[in-house]
Amino acid sequence: MQAFHIEYRNTQGTLMRILNAASRRGIELPYVQATPADHAHAVTLLLEVSPRQIGQLCRDWHAIVDVTKVRAGIPFTVAAHAPEQSATPHLPASVRVALNAAARTATA
Amino acid sequence: MLRGAEIVLSCLRAEGVELAFGYPGGAIMPLYDALPDSGIRHVLTRHEQGAVFAAEGYARASGKVGVAIATSGPGATNLVTGIADAKMDSVPLVCITGQVRSGLIGTDAFQETDVFGLTLSLTKWSRLVRSIEELPSVIAEAFHWARSGRPGPVVIDIPTDVLKAKTEFAGPVKFQPHTKSAGIHGVTTFTETLVALLENARRPVALVGAGVKLSGAVADLRLLLDHLQVPAFATVHGLGAVPPDAPYYLGMVGMHGTRAANLALHETDLLLVFGARLDDRVTGDPSRFAPHARIVHFEIDPAQLDRVRACDLPVIGDLAETIPAFQAVLRRVTLPGWSSWRNTACTPERAESDPRGLASPTIRFLDELFRHLPDDSVIVADVGQHQMWAAQRYRSSAPRGFITSGGLGAMGFALPAAIGIQLAKPETTVLCISGDGGFQINIQELATVRRLRLPIKMVVVDNKYLGMVRQWQELFYARNYSETDLSDNPDFVEVARAYRIYGDRLNEDAMREFPVSSETSQMLQRFLSSPEPELLAFDCHPEANVYPMVPAGGTLSEMIFEQE
Repeated sequence: MQAFHIEYRNTQGTLMRILNAASRRGIELPYVQATPADHAHAVTLLLEVSPRQIGQLCRDWHAIVDVTKVRAGIPFTVAAHAPEQSATPHLPASVRVALNAAARTATA
Repeated sequence: MLRGAEIVLSCLRAEGVELAFGYPGGAIMPLYDALPDSGIRHVLTRHEQGAVFAAEGYARASGKVGVAIATSGPGATNLVTGIADAKMDSVPLVCITGQVRSGLIGTDAFQETDVFGLTLSLTKWSRLVRSIEELPSVIAEAFHWARSGRPGPVVIDIPTDVLKAKTEFAGPVKFQPHTKSAGIHGVTTFTETLVALLENARRPVALVGAGVKLSGAVADLRLLLDHLQVPAFATVHGLGAVPPDAPYYLGMVGMHGTRAANLALHETDLLLVFGARLDDRVTGDPSRFAPHARIVHFEIDPAQLDRVRACDLPVIGDLAETIPAFQAVLRRVTLPGWSSWRNTACTPERAESDPRGLASPTIRFLDELFRHLPDDSVIVADVGQHQMWAAQRYRSSAPRGFITSGGLGAMGFALPAAIGIQLAKPETTVLCISGDGGFQINIQELATVRRLRLPIKMVVVDNKYLGMVRQWQELFYARNYSETDLSDNPDFVEVARAYRIYGDRLNEDAMREFPVSSETSQMLQRFLSSPEPELLAFDCHPEANVYPMVPAGGTLSEMIFEQE
């Protein structure tokens, strides 16, 4: 299992293009986490890929217009992650912001 | 106060757009309402696919961005094949689609489709416009991405209420791209390594692709190849970049490439790739491609590196910069002469013999047509056997002189593309070659040709089959001609005349004489020089095949040739 870390400007469709680079190759997406990061966003993917696909994917991602950084992380097993994190459904940043705002309103 | 539609058109003019191709409908109607006073000429095609292929032809011939306009729903989905074609062949294209009004998006409204989602994997960039205020920046950004780096298609999806809205308009804007970190570590100091590779090479060759033309680097490449004097060949999109009379030029390479080119590429120990993406039609089985070679890959798009076969030295950048840099270094070094290798690779014994067999009348027909064409002509080929015969016989050195759907292989491309090409180059002879199958896919565009009186010369190579598929069925499926029979074709001459276009027919018997009779020669010259659109249907033998052929999964050395 290989980790990939991609920073991007969260413009329309950019995250979808990042995920599509994997899905068009029939690669499943067992773990996706996207979060705001400073002035950009970052997504971490765990993918089961061959060494050749690592290079292909990195080049495909870097070619996406609003992707700013691509890094292939050291391989690690999924078991190293806290189970509750991997069980949390991936939410787009805008939904998380809305939930946080609703939570603040509820506690106010 | 301007309407959104007027802002769109004003911004298009600011981007240099003079011509757009399209087909109206409900959601896009506000844009069409504003068109007559916009200063942009609109060409009404008879199908949105015709519009997008015409926009592509215009872009391919002129180097400008092609613009196609369609309405929502089925109008937008009809653009998809053309968008995919532009992506595969690196064509700068901006598609503007209408969308249902903003409040209905996502409700499966009438003629609503998620064109943004549909085209995500086919576009360099796309945008669903949410407000009239976004229009200037969206259009500026769209054109930037369509043109820059490796050119490609973009989609701007505009809800109809945005087109109808009004706002104060301060004028078009310029797009400033964000700088991107150089995440791909290309070799910026490649020249030393490349010279070292050349010094150690015994059998170097050069493969030329479309990127040389897109970068405007044809003249630089020719200087380089004249200096290196290594055997050189071209992909189908690279045809014309190397003068065909250059003593080291071996023609087209790949599945239907020349014997000499394929053998040289198989035997090489150093492959210099200039602006080609090493498509599987060129490589054959990637695992056995150029088995002895180290590969130096000159490419502007890092995503094309190592896709099919890993390269030893990537040279990432615009060929208009990297080739001159390479040439500058070469002037200071002394390289091996490679004369022995060149003599071997370019020996007449490796060239094909004269065409023989069932295809020879058709090949001779194409030779005769090409012989009478002016040097600056443009040949546009559809997809199939005729395409490969035309590519094999193409002998011009006009860089944008041979246009076809290469990467996608979209049948029906040629006729609408010819419309765009002729409009881009009104003084040029445009020869449109289609098979009987492909010609019928966008046959409705004869109406567009007629309306505009475009003097396109349309040839239909009529073998009454889906010829290339039939060839594969003959060679690899035991002649099981399943669903490839087109023997009930209409009479294309009568179809042309129904569109008020003059049509004629030539039987392949006329090509069995060599040289052809003066009557036939005059007929072809009159056809090519007519100031009106004309159609010529050529009766081709139903079982003529394209040779040589590299079978799918084979190597370039495993070519099949015409049987005696």
